Amino acid sequence: MTTLDPTVATPEKSVRRSRLRPAGGESAAMLMVLPIMVAILFIGYVIWRQTADLDSIEESTLAWGAIWEQLRDHIAITLVASAIVVVIAVPLGILLTRGRARAIAPAVVAFANAGQAAPAIGLIVLLAIWLGFGFWTGVLGLVIYGLLPVLRNTITGLQGVDPTLVEAGRGIGMSAPQVLLRVELPLALPVIMAGIRTALVLVVGTAALVTFIGAGGLGGALTSGINLFRFPVMVSAALLIALLALLIEWVGRVLETVLRPKGI
Amino acid sequence: MWDFIAERHRQILYDGFQHVYLVVLAVVAATFIAILIAMLVTKVPRLGGVTNMLSAIGLTIPGFALVGLLMPATGIGSTTAFICVCFYAVLPILRNAVVGLQGVEPVLLESARGMGMGEAAVIARVRLPLAWPVILAGIRVSLQMSMGIAAIAAYVLGPGLGSYIFTGLAQIGGKNALNYALVGTLGVVLLALILDLLLVLVGRVTIPKGIRV
Repeated sequence: MTTLDPTVATPEKSVRRSRLRPAGGESAAMLMVLPIMVAILFIGYVIWRQTADLDSIEESTLAWGAIWEQLRDHIAITLVASAIVVVIAVPLGILLTRGRARAIAPAVVAFANAGQAAPAIGLIVLLAIWLGFGFWTGVLGLVIYGLLPVLRNTITGLQGVDPTLVEAGRGIGMSAPQVLLRVELPLALPVIMAGIRTALVLVVGTAALVTFIGAGGLGGALTSGINLFRFPVMVSAALLIALLALLIEWVGRVLETVLRPKGI
Repeated sequence: MWDFIAERHRQILYDGFQHVYLVVLAVVAATFIAILIAMLVTKVPRLGGVTNMLSAIGLTIPGFALVGLLMPATGIGSTTAFICVCFYAVLPILRNAVVGLQGVEPVLLESARGMGMGEAAVIARVRLPLAWPVILAGIRVSLQMSMGIAAIAAYVLGPGLGSYIFTGLAQIGGKNALNYALVGTLGVVLLALILDLLLVLVGRVTIPKGIRV
């Protein structure tokens, strides 16, 4: 039995590690492959769009002007919501690893985990019934949805910092805020960034649903495609949404690599 | 709210059952698919990187977009919903299955072979049981995700509680809009929690005694 125990501990540990920070090789490959893939598919779409034989409804739904506007709205709502997520979740995560608040951190994470089971579309519709249609209702829904990964990873990242390093920081005369800013946060940054990337992907995907409550985005073209039962519109819109999501994921990976402190 | 539920409880129970049925079916299928692929990866470790990358890309594609991409091929209704849910359900399980199967210590495999076990017996009696806790963790993640994706698939008339959410949306301003949206959303949350609890129980029963934490 004693020989078996460590065997199980190893995979469990590596699961956690691989979810928080992907192996270097995979990340590097994704950094290369993603933009090329997105570019090829987008060029393919442009060529198809310019040459395809579309009827007047398809022509107007897929007009470049309309698509650009939806794309712009989609990116705008994604960035606004993600920024708010970071501004709320990172300080909250820091707070939950300080002093007495440490005790309630597991409860907060468990609650947030359970909340994650709520379907995004249900949350968005409920918010719309409560607050009315519009951009900011959409933002609120996306923020609620994106909070958990950043919060969880901020807490895990800070808890994962070697206590001896914190001790050493205090030992050379740093104050608590200094230790936080110059030792703990830099060391936890890779894990926090992984959480932010996860949140970005969640938010950009969920943003395809805010068209239902009048907050714009590429989901608009997709729903018209489905409602009018036009395959070209459906597939085009779905493809563009997927490409945007992949591009945002790539941006997240770039940020992760660029912001990773040297020496880690 | 209570009147609303009392009036329609049969229909709600039926749709809740349909929701669970779709998700459980998809997750079970996904578990088999994921374990098969993971075994292939264990045999040919070079595939590991590619699999990880494909699953990362797959998880990035929004569920609603996949619905749109599948529609021309699979039409309106439960086929689309099933394929869509199954696609996402495979990914977390696959990731964990690869890690779990590869994480089994070579020494143990060696001793199993030394005891005279054939390849099949090694997989069935050593590899899978040892990797099972990790795979099960993947199944739990997958199940939670699938419940939400099944709700979105209701937009193309997939079965289940998602339709309540969309009815609520369509009737906004009407007196039952909130009831519909609440029943749809909370129903999914409740069922997801129950299923998760059941999976924990499944873990209690199926994780071999010797490796329980």
